[in-house]
Amino acid sequence: MANFNIDAKSERTYQAIVIGSGMSGSWAAKELCEHGVKTLVIERGRNVKHLRDYPTTNMLPHEFEHRGQLTKQIEEDNPVVSKCYAFREDAMHFFVKDKEHPYVQEKPFDWIRGYQVGGKSLLWARQVQRWSDFDFDGPARDGFAVDWPIRYKDIAPWYSHVEKFAGVSGNKDGLANLPDGEFLPGFELNIVEKYFQEQLKKHYGDSRHMILARCAHITGNLEYYKQQGRVQCQSRNLCQRGCPFGGYFSANASTLPWAEKTGNMTMRTDAVVHSIIYDEAKGKATGVRIVDVNTKQTEEYFADVIFVNAAALNTNLILLNSTSNRFPNGLGNDSELLGKYVAFHNYRAGISAEYEGYSEYTTTGGRPTSGYFPRFRNLHKQETDFLRGYAAGFSAGRYNYADQSGVGLSLKEELLNPSKCSNWSVGSHMMGETIPKATNYVTLSKTEKDAWGIPLLSVNVDYDDNDEKMVKDYQEQMTEMFDKAGFTNIRVRDDHRAPGLDIHEMGGVRMGKDPKTSLLNKDHQLHACANVYVTDGACMTSTSTQNPSLSYMAFAARAAHHAMKNQKWGNV
Amino acid sequence: MQRREALKSLAILTGGAVLIPSCNFEKEDILAAYSNLQITPTLQTLLGQIADTIIPPGQLKGAIDLAVQDFILVMVNDCIDKDQQTQFSKGLQEFNAFTKKTGSSNFSKLEPTAKEKVITEGLAIAADTTDENLKSIREFLSITKRFTIQGFMMSEYMMTEVKPYSLIPGSYNGEVLISSISNTKING
Repeated sequence: MANFNIDAKSERTYQAIVIGSGMSGSWAAKELCEHGVKTLVIERGRNVKHLRDYPTTNMLPHEFEHRGQLTKQIEEDNPVVSKCYAFREDAMHFFVKDKEHPYVQEKPFDWIRGYQVGGKSLLWARQVQRWSDFDFDGPARDGFAVDWPIRYKDIAPWYSHVEKFAGVSGNKDGLANLPDGEFLPGFELNIVEKYFQEQLKKHYGDSRHMILARCAHITGNLEYYKQQGRVQCQSRNLCQRGCPFGGYFSANASTLPWAEKTGNMTMRTDAVVHSIIYDEAKGKATGVRIVDVNTKQTEEYFADVIFVNAAALNTNLILLNSTSNRFPNGLGNDSELLGKYVAFHNYRAGISAEYEGYSEYTTTGGRPTSGYFPRFRNLHKQETDFLRGYAAGFSAGRYNYADQSGVGLSLKEELLNPSKCSNWSVGSHMMGETIPKATNYVTLSKTEKDAWGIPLLSVNVDYDDNDEKMVKDYQEQMTEMFDKAGFTNIRVRDDHRAPGLDIHEMGGVRMGKDPKTSLLNKDHQLHACANVYVTDGACMTSTSTQNPSLSYMAFAARAAHHAMKNQKWGNV
Repeated sequence: MQRREALKSLAILTGGAVLIPSCNFEKEDILAAYSNLQITPTLQTLLGQIADTIIPPGQLKGAIDLAVQDFILVMVNDCIDKDQQTQFSKGLQEFNAFTKKTGSSNFSKLEPTAKEKVITEGLAIAADTTDENLKSIREFLSITKRFTIQGFMMSEYMMTEVKPYSLIPGSYNGEVLISSISNTKING
């Protein structure tokens, strides 16, 4: 490959390289830099600097030409990303447009991406629930995938570590299947949500719970967060625009400026990673080959340790494209399992209903989170004809609205002084565990390449019978619970969305104990190339039901410290 | 050329039964931005009058004061399906013919109450009507009413002066007695 490097190799050499600046990469960078490790962060997208690069953050509704709506042209040009709930007029500049970065869908897969500094951490839903051993034990207990090489005790201190820094609001709920963490004060459940909590207790005893979802928002310990330049969440619920308060955790507001402040971080933006360079003589990876997005020239950077945090599927792509004599089918791919056992969360089902009670009450103000059902299905033992189960969101709310039937002054008066108030509307959505399988995989296209000469990723991921049964069970169980709580007008849905729109794609570079059946060891190192770490969604052996970002952050911090200890670096 | 094409397609669209208004429609240019909707300045004015009937000026500004007709055209041009756009254009072009039938005059010459009556009747046309012209009047008015309401409620005037929008809604209270919330009536 042509190499246009003119400056000395030493100037392109760092102690560590982190590929990707989002949720997990920024955590690796923060830990490394904080402990004195000279770190290069490679980001394929443009820079997005906290505050400076949030163009819409303080815009009022009328300042958006289409009042927030997408135009038909944008929808037509972007059939995939337009399906994402957050791809709206106010935040669409933070999403990858379909035509900019094509991929191959062997089966329908909605791949939602954010190519910029901070990645999708600007756009995420900020839900942060811990895993427990009910989750880590899953594959071993139920006989699928491979056993996780770690357990809750390995990751618990790292959950605490990242929760404290990121800022997590929540209540101590005392549930074994959803461990408590380092929580700032929780937001409030409303009167109907609390009523539903009581109803669950009445009808299901201690076997089913609906709690306040833990979310990565600052609600206390304000002096501590001031060091990061972040202040209390103002409940704006405009998070996807980038938060001028730093009220929620994003790499841009938190980990990246922290890393930058140490003077140990170098950020290389607009650089698409082509591959990781493997040195056969040394028996390890020595660097990263990139293509400059604009000049399309190839450059190489070197380091002792490489973290791959490109987001789950792109991490697969990079490793698959990192071929050498030693690894003809992708870096570390002795097991031939690289790219396989990809899984996701099943978000197809939902339910909505009304509640006629508490009609004299309403809510005021804003809240950046809602209620959450930790998994109750097959928790202690197998009890259904499908494996595993689902978590679920839950919320209740009501709103004032105007009777819009008239025309003229009467309509105007009614719009200005709405006379109607809805019943409480209650709703829930499913977050189902899917079972990783060899038949759900990603590969490199043999024929198509992107604008930088890198093969397109080809995605072959689908639902299976287990998912179908789980959708049905979710609908039945939720209907039963809603019915018992006295909710009316209960409607279930299955939107048959393609996998991917959950934006929780995982796996392909799974962890495991045995190099023959997994790619990564218990410390996130490639079994066959130990100075390469993978701590984003690609490492997931199974998916369980929790929103995964918190685990990626904890994995990244833990693995960074492992690398520093191994290398005898810094002040660890 | 573009204008001739537009007029030709307008004729096709309406089955040749175009009722050329008494004003100099033929000499008008289609507003460039809305060429695909075939909006002339006359039609734009008419749209404003319809919007201003749906939300008239009073103690507070009305639709025309806030140029809601321009917002409607932006939304129709950019944010609705082609077939809805067709219904909108057709309904707008035929609106004066419809007005003459129900109100016996051009819309602009009617008294405010008569204008309201025409719009109310147009909106009341049965959804399953088989009369294509009536169908387009109904569709046109529904779309216009929807965007008039949105354009008014989400105008800078409303968002900054009448009911100021707060980017910071205040902390959440999940248990508020409705009777404890004081609402000052806003006179329109």
